[in-house]
Amino acid sequence: MFAGNKDLRRRRSGLFICPARIENRSALDYFSGMAQTVEPLVAPDIGKEEKSDPKGDLAPGFLVICWDDPVNLMDYVTHVFQVVFRWPRPKAEFHMLQVHRQGKSVLARESPERAEHYVHQLQSYSLHATMERDA
Amino acid sequence: MKLIKREGEDFVLHIGRRERRLLFEVLKLYPLVPVAHHRVSQTAKQMDEHQTLLEEALAERRQENKRQLVAMLHEEQRFKETDAGYRLTLSAPQVEWLLQVLNDIRVGSWLILGEPDEKKGKPVALTSENARHYAAMEFCGLFQMTLLDAVQQGR
Repeated sequence: MFAGNKDLRRRRSGLFICPARIENRSALDYFSGMAQTVEPLVAPDIGKEEKSDPKGDLAPGFLVICWDDPVNLMDYVTHVFQVVFRWPRPKAEFHMLQVHRQGKSVLARESPERAEHYVHQLQSYSLHATMERDA
Repeated sequence: MKLIKREGEDFVLHIGRRERRLLFEVLKLYPLVPVAHHRVSQTAKQMDEHQTLLEEALAERRQENKRQLVAMLHEEQRFKETDAGYRLTLSAPQVEWLLQVLNDIRVGSWLILGEPDEKKGKPVALTSENARHYAAMEFCGLFQMTLLDAVQQGR
């Protein structure tokens, strides 16, 4: 899914210099004649970014939601929120109680990548967590 | 099992002989939750690739947890015998993965038991086949609470 984003991030670095084109120059180009200012042979290659589809499922604005289930211990859920989000205990407890009483709690609103990261973290602790597009 | 002391980043716990045997038996059940049990989204449709990634990541994590678990169970220095049982030393990251492992067994056992929910009037339907999973679910909860108390004391 996000393999494409890796390329996008690389493209965002802007300038590309192609060393192969410099190496291919003849040695005479380097050593013949008087010292002079050499114009760069390689023009900065500014790549165009591919536009993402903001209406697609991968658009930013995903909610990380934790859902209630009757098996996870309340202290355990609080602990996981503290570890995953680095929240202080009162905030973690607030969200744990929201899950317990209201059936779910929105824990974060993030980009797809971050939301997915959090969901992976929460699920590795066997919590019932999903990412949902923010309406 | 109870916390004796913190030594720097390490937790030193006392565990009785029968408790240790019980812990070993319960840990042998890992992993129990099917990877496909976790859904990346409840509503979005175009999430197949997300789901595949999630399942791959979870499978990888479990494999690593299992590897660490086997290493821990066979490490002689991990459990030092005392007069009253054993002294178990765990680092903070080891406590974290042990909590994950125990909760996987707890949730997996709950799934095998048919997802009982007292609040919704769905009690556990015990049979001779699933009784050990009921015991595993309860024991995991007890071990988890001990570890959580230890972490909380250390904060």
